[in-house]
Amino acid sequence: MSYGRFLLKRGLQGIVVVWGVVTIVFMLRFITPGNAVDAVAPLDASPELRERIAEELGLDQPLYVQYLDYLWELLNGDMGYSYISGIEASSMVFSKLPATVELAVASSIIAIGLSIPLGVISATRRHEPADYAATTFSLVGISTPNFWLGIMLILLLSVQFGIFPTSGRAFGFVQAFRITANQGLGAGADAFYQWLRFITLPAVTLGTYFTALITRLTRSGMLEELGQSYVRATRAKGLPESLVRYKHALRNTLIPVITVLGLQLGTLIGGAVITESVFSWPGLGTTLINAINARDWPILQATLVVIGTGFVIVNLVVDAIYAYLDPQVVAE
Amino acid sequence: MISPRTLRNLRKELRSSALAKIGIVLVLAMILVAAFAPFIALHNPTNQDLDENTLPPMGFSRTTEETTSEMVNGSLQLTNETVYVNATASHPLGTNSLGQDVYSRAVYGARTSMMVGVLGTVLAAILGVSVGLVAGFYRGRIDDALMRFADVSLAFPSLVLAIALIGLWGRAAVDVPDPFVVFGLVDPVRSALGLPTGMPDSFVLPGTVIVVVGLVNWVWFARIARGEALSIREEEYVKAARALGASDARIIGRHVLPNATTPILVLATIQVAAIILLESSLSFLGFSGTTLSWGFDISQGRGYLSTAWWIATIPGIAIVLAVIGVNLVGDWLRDALDPGIEGEGGV
Amino acid sequence: MSHKDSPDVSRRKFLGFAGAATATAVAGCGGNGGTDTDTDEPGGDGTDEPTDTPSDGTPTERPEPETRDGYLQRANRIAHEQAPWVFLNRQYSVYGKSDDIEWQARADEFIDAYAISPATDSGDDVVINQSQMDSGLDPQDHRATPTDNIVMQAYEKLLDRDREGGIVDSLAEDYSRQEEGLVRFQIRDGVSFHSGDNLTPEDVAYSINRIVDPDTGIASPQQDQLAGVTGAEVVDGERAVDVMSDGLNPIVFSLFASYGPIVNKSWIQSNENSYVNQHMDGTGPFVLETYEQGVQVVFNRNDNYWKEAAEISSLTIESASESSTRVNSLLSDESDIIVNVPPQEVSRVEENDGSSIAAAPSTRVIFSAMRYDVEPFDSPEFRQAVNYAIDLESIVQNVLSTFGDQTAQPTLDGYFGFNEDLDPYPYDPEEAEALVEESGYAGVEVELHTPVGRYLNDVQIAQAVAGYLDDLENVTASVNQRDFQALASEVTDGDIETNPHWYLLGWGNTTFDASQTLIPLLTSDGVLTSWSNEEFDRVVEEAQSMPSEQ
Repeated sequence: MSYGRFLLKRGLQGIVVVWGVVTIVFMLRFITPGNAVDAVAPLDASPELRERIAEELGLDQPLYVQYLDYLWELLNGDMGYSYISGIEASSMVFSKLPATVELAVASSIIAIGLSIPLGVISATRRHEPADYAATTFSLVGISTPNFWLGIMLILLLSVQFGIFPTSGRAFGFVQAFRITANQGLGAGADAFYQWLRFITLPAVTLGTYFTALITRLTRSGMLEELGQSYVRATRAKGLPESLVRYKHALRNTLIPVITVLGLQLGTLIGGAVITESVFSWPGLGTTLINAINARDWPILQATLVVIGTGFVIVNLVVDAIYAYLDPQVVAE
Repeated sequence: MISPRTLRNLRKELRSSALAKIGIVLVLAMILVAAFAPFIALHNPTNQDLDENTLPPMGFSRTTEETTSEMVNGSLQLTNETVYVNATASHPLGTNSLGQDVYSRAVYGARTSMMVGVLGTVLAAILGVSVGLVAGFYRGRIDDALMRFADVSLAFPSLVLAIALIGLWGRAAVDVPDPFVVFGLVDPVRSALGLPTGMPDSFVLPGTVIVVVGLVNWVWFARIARGEALSIREEEYVKAARALGASDARIIGRHVLPNATTPILVLATIQVAAIILLESSLSFLGFSGTTLSWGFDISQGRGYLSTAWWIATIPGIAIVLAVIGVNLVGDWLRDALDPGIEGEGGV
Repeated sequence: MSHKDSPDVSRRKFLGFAGAATATAVAGCGGNGGTDTDTDEPGGDGTDEPTDTPSDGTPTERPEPETRDGYLQRANRIAHEQAPWVFLNRQYSVYGKSDDIEWQARADEFIDAYAISPATDSGDDVVINQSQMDSGLDPQDHRATPTDNIVMQAYEKLLDRDREGGIVDSLAEDYSRQEEGLVRFQIRDGVSFHSGDNLTPEDVAYSINRIVDPDTGIASPQQDQLAGVTGAEVVDGERAVDVMSDGLNPIVFSLFASYGPIVNKSWIQSNENSYVNQHMDGTGPFVLETYEQGVQVVFNRNDNYWKEAAEISSLTIESASESSTRVNSLLSDESDIIVNVPPQEVSRVEENDGSSIAAAPSTRVIFSAMRYDVEPFDSPEFRQAVNYAIDLESIVQNVLSTFGDQTAQPTLDGYFGFNEDLDPYPYDPEEAEALVEESGYAGVEVELHTPVGRYLNDVQIAQAVAGYLDDLENVTASVNQRDFQALASEVTDGDIETNPHWYLLGWGNTTFDASQTLIPLLTSDGVLTSWSNEEFDRVVEEAQSMPSEQ
């Protein structure tokens, strides 16, 4: 199978999964006790609002008509209007998306940037202090609830030492670019500095679990690879140790690491929800929690659809990278 | 099943690994604390005593500027007063803003974490293993359908799906009578030890949370069980059993499932850790049905970080210790049994 | 009051029987026409004996009151005795304030950004951090203080209040009572909306009708804030609007000083609800710059304001429901004003260089309502038991660190209709247990719903209340922490069935008149009611048919 065909196949599978995602979201309203209007209406909904909801959901229609209507509206980007503020659900959710993406990307960068060197050092200096430190860090890292870590970081770095802001987000990365374009480099540099100040603590909070997880994976993967016969063979040929380590062993280690990363993407998004709540970060997570609390069904539905779809898309990208690194996958 | 060889591996790994020993000690300690909470707690964890609020832990004292207000001629006068508060022996880890004993709440919090961790994992395992075995054993369309469904479930992060489900279903909780209290064992023992009596006679089990964490974590088990079923069904002895006319149920029960035990056990351990973290996240966000939970106490302590750090810090340490313990036991099992499931099944 | 020297007779007449409510509540605001007690005006018939007699079976042995004040006091006494609420505390507004600005707390919880002046250069751009964001920007489609604090920077009312609560004019230059159910407002000239349209009497009449008439525009949840008002119409050939009321409506001007934002008729009519909820077109001192729902609202100074332009050039409003987050944002200079500093953090704000506390007793009463139509709260004995079960003094002392006053009745001290003879329920767990037995609900389980972070230490108060009740041998009580918007909308929707059985809430009544607490919260037809009691309804109705003299 060629790489292109592989991507096409994965893409089609992805579409099927997205269809499943939106179907599950559609079904959520039926797996709740009571009738469907009760499930999705705010508890205080007026009779008028209930009527409007029933009409919107097409509850007088047969189930398959409701379902097809729902799919058709989704395809047209129509996810209804907030029951609370009357704002269009799609525009609301897409306006929150960049904040969450920024947070997820920033913490991934921290995690990958720190963990792979840590894992390699740990594996190549086994039973040395560096190894013990890295192992301890990674054990504590995967065992610490990130909301608690966030609170402790706020206590220490914001409240006690005042290095970082306690919460919030000054503006987005894109806005910082716009400021640079419109107001010149000085203002731009300041904007990026502000952006960085606000995102650091949430990104570290969210990234710690992944840093710890990938460190563990890299370490155990490297240890395994370094014990393989091909490494011993290349070493015996007199190739420099660093080449052996980084070219061969690390490359082979990274392949399973990427698989796990793809699988753990959900954890990253779930972690973002709670991190956003600790730092009042205005992203999808806070939107989700507000929507649940207010029983604002259109917003909840839109958030779930966007999160589920986002997950599928990112997994496709991960798969593509994976297949590129390891052509065997394509062959299978 | 657990063979003598497996046991030998476990023992060997345990002897050589200090971390495994630490893990076992932590997990055993947590189980004991959770089980015997009414004997170990110093106070009833929900009893409040406003006059004893925010007492510091032993070894610390609290010096705060307390500002009080008074109406004088229609405007507020603020008075600052320096207050020294010393720790008391009856509250070794201090009290929270309502004067509840932080130590006793941490002890009872272990119950919630253990119950949700274990019951949630069992539920996830039952669901996941059933689906996985059926998919792997029958292959074909059933397999395709079930595994696509698993992919779809994976697209929703556990925490997100859990929040959505609890938001829609509400937060039902079940009152489970505390057997020690019901059989009248607690008060005599506590009186003999000189501890205050009157412990809670029932324990609030956050039912919705258990069901939901089971529902959102089954996929990992399904994947493992399916993989095992796929490989085992091709083994000669399974083919032989089938030729002899053994029913599918019998083959799955007698041959496939026992062979899948090891990886499922290792995965279950990792899942307990993940679910303890998930439960604490849910109760931190207020989506639990109980107030006796470490995550809930952390959310309560947030407002007092600068004046009474212990309220949020101590339950946090409890979570970290519990999860480290479970993770270490998971590492030990994995290293000893080598089921080849590195890194699957996260929070 | 700007009308201090106005010789408008009919206005004096009104103040004689309505304004007194405000005047008595406002310390140091005497000396204006409002303190007159013109009993020879229509208010004179207030001394008539009511024709209604108490129905059989009501245990009222006291003589029938003779005045509006007397009836309101009687209503408060009935509420005290029948205990539809757990009477908690009067909230103090405790703000944290940066030294970059000069600003004083108001009695009515509104943070008037127009009154902020910069003390340093960085005080020119002000950031307010409150507990919640808005529930949409339509000024007439909400009824919560956090939303008011946002929309009322851009919108204005016919009348307004000064910092102490006295009535001042705003978009109306003058106002007078024409006859019993009719008042007239003269509309100010030369005022324009942010869109550039000029303010017309049509806009004013439309605004009032949009609130009181469900068929005009939206079904506004503010209908009962303008209680008794039935409609408004433009006076032919004059720049004036007539406002009609059902009956006397003794406190109508007080209502218009606290409620009734004025919107631009053509702007509202030509835009979708969704648009009106994300944009603003008011006449106020600040113009909406950007709006990010649930996150941030940014205003710029309105340089075409009909008064002098505001002193600060921009205003940003953000929110954090966690009080520590707000305090931290003040201490790290991210905010200039924060709401609800919890008592345990007050000294931190005070000791920090560059910030201080601004506090004032507020117009808000904190209570927890017990629905009369559900078990076990249908039993007056049980409701009294809950009041006996809690140590209110200890709650005010320890949970609120004295930043609050104990209450014994729905009405706050200093309000018209406050009953001075009522003392808070004493802490008496034995009495409470006995009353629970008597009610027949021994062994019951109850759950108190509370908002998180909306009021000063709200969760802690709720936990303490539930904790005390749980301490009783024969009751189990717990707390359910709720999102404020969700809880508030359940309660404010006008349908008692959707209310939780037992919930903690705060009620801000900026009219300084008992009726605006008693009617919406406790009468059978009240929009937010949790109670129904014939005698109470009757007494309140009597009070509302009488002029507000003393």
